[in-house]
Amino acid sequence: MIELLNVRKVFNAGSPSEFSAINGVDLRIAENRVTVLKGPSGSGKTTLLSIVGCMSRPSAGRVKLRDREITSLPERFLTDIRRKTFGFIFQQPNLIKGISVLENVMLPAYPLGEKRTTLKVKALHGLNELNLSGKAASKVEWLSGGEAQRVSIVRALINDPQIIIADEPTAHLDTKLSYRFMEIVEQFKAQGKTVIITSHDPLVYDSKTVDDVVNLRDGKLESEPA
Amino acid sequence: MTPWIEKQRYIIDFTISSLLRRKVKNIGLLALYTLIVFILASTMFFTYSIKKEAKLILQGSPEIVVQKIVAGRHDLFPVDYIEPIKAIRGVADVESRLWGYYYDSLVQANYTVLVPSRPVDKSQSNARTTVVVDPNDPHAADVDKPLYDYDGAAPEAGTIVIGNGVARMREIGVGDFMPFMAFDGQIMNLKVIGTLSAESELVSSDLILVNGADFRKLFGIAEQFVTDVIVTVKNPSEVGMVAGKIKKKLQSARPIIREEILRTYDSIFNWRGGMMIVVFSAAVLAFVIFAWDKASGLSAGERREIGILKAVGWETGDVIQMKFWEGAMVSLSAYFSGVILAYIHVFFTGSAVFEPALKGWSALYPHFSLTPYVNAEQLTTLFFLTVVPYTVATIVPTWRAATIDPDTAMRHTGE
Repeated sequence: MIELLNVRKVFNAGSPSEFSAINGVDLRIAENRVTVLKGPSGSGKTTLLSIVGCMSRPSAGRVKLRDREITSLPERFLTDIRRKTFGFIFQQPNLIKGISVLENVMLPAYPLGEKRTTLKVKALHGLNELNLSGKAASKVEWLSGGEAQRVSIVRALINDPQIIIADEPTAHLDTKLSYRFMEIVEQFKAQGKTVIITSHDPLVYDSKTVDDVVNLRDGKLESEPA
Repeated sequence: MTPWIEKQRYIIDFTISSLLRRKVKNIGLLALYTLIVFILASTMFFTYSIKKEAKLILQGSPEIVVQKIVAGRHDLFPVDYIEPIKAIRGVADVESRLWGYYYDSLVQANYTVLVPSRPVDKSQSNARTTVVVDPNDPHAADVDKPLYDYDGAAPEAGTIVIGNGVARMREIGVGDFMPFMAFDGQIMNLKVIGTLSAESELVSSDLILVNGADFRKLFGIAEQFVTDVIVTVKNPSEVGMVAGKIKKKLQSARPIIREEILRTYDSIFNWRGGMMIVVFSAAVLAFVIFAWDKASGLSAGERREIGILKAVGWETGDVIQMKFWEGAMVSLSAYFSGVILAYIHVFFTGSAVFEPALKGWSALYPHFSLTPYVNAEQLTTLFFLTVVPYTVATIVPTWRAATIDPDTAMRHTGE
């Protein structure tokens, strides 16, 4: 469903600090599967993930989503696709401080102008699913690391995206919470969602939940997807 | 409710919560901003209203005042000049006036000493009281307000009527005696038989009304001289023409028409208002620098927030809209509070803060409350001076921050 054709990404093009993060990657990511982009630091995992998630554009090559070429779409359309198709879970929870958990969760749905009561019910349901219903009114700075991570997961799901993208989700979690995260990924898969994770944590890429592992090194695929 | 309206509500809600999150910073900014609007608005309201007030009062003033000039210096006006002026075609009436300034060394103040002219109903012409009333002007009726609670007849010999400012300065009232030193060093004790009404204080604060004979004794003016004369013209459109004829007939005469006095008042108060702005310009400038810094530079926290919002699906337009509302809320709140405070300050507390700079001369300050006079032009000028620049200054940096790729939020800590 997601297809990358000869994708390259160059930063600071034309300047002495030019740096090529992705060097001609061809990749197909299948639907309703859990794919892990694995590789050491600097291998281009996050860059590739941000291209897949329409957060940045490749310098060369093409990206297709459900056979639709999206590389050349204007910013507005890309944002729309990003909003409706992808849910993002960042390495850090990236929650907005000073506002409640509930507001943070509802944030991605604001531009869609959904009815407030419907949205609130949806957000509370999501929080309940991840045992966070008691925290809805709390401010995010009062949450533990694990709770903040789960709030960011609920936020990623608020627009009911088909594809979940997670960047190093277990980097700041202890073993127990990392296992809990993989259980949640299992649930996503059971719901028919596609999950793409970047990680160099064996607990993630060795998990039985994971269907495909893509090895990256120096911006290139090391071998065919497992 | 349509999704569009719901979306705007969400954005405004989020903006309000954003503002509340940085409470201390925003309240500080709001207070400073309000102060600046307050200063600008106070100066503007005061200057406009006082000019309007002066204009209304002067509408009832003589059409032409004729003085005598000797080598450019104001001199006493010979009574002999009156008949030639009366003979000019178009002149309805010529009335002599006796008035002058008296310096009171005891309280270091200047008084205006005046011999009242004959009461209005005894005047040969009623042209002087004819004022063109603009039906759209709510203040037009005020022209008929008497300047003092007084019938217009000159006080009897040995008595005076004093303005409120004089009464306050000398701490005297009806029945008291007020000593004056005449031109020849003799002391004249004149009895106060009345005080002028408080409503007329803007023009009558420093006024002393005396009898003609007492005035001549005090200033040493002979019977064949007066201070100046006022000329009433039959046809108002001929005022300029008559003034020209007077000048031609009497080389040493200097006719001053009402429009010239109005112009002088205008420039005096424009100048005073301008001085106020200059005095406060340092404060305004400091605020501009502060506001520009606050508005144009986004903190790391704000940049991060914009990154997160973009990453979770907000469009560049949504982010800019949010920042626009933020700037608009701060500047509009400051604008309205500043304007309301200035209104109270100028029209209810009598410009307590600016009083020394804007009102009165010398040591004698009139106590008066201005008639509220605010028009759309003033409010629009203030709006464009304060709200618009600030709001624009908040949008530009946001636009720059919001157009970068949203993956910066991921890059924040990622690889």
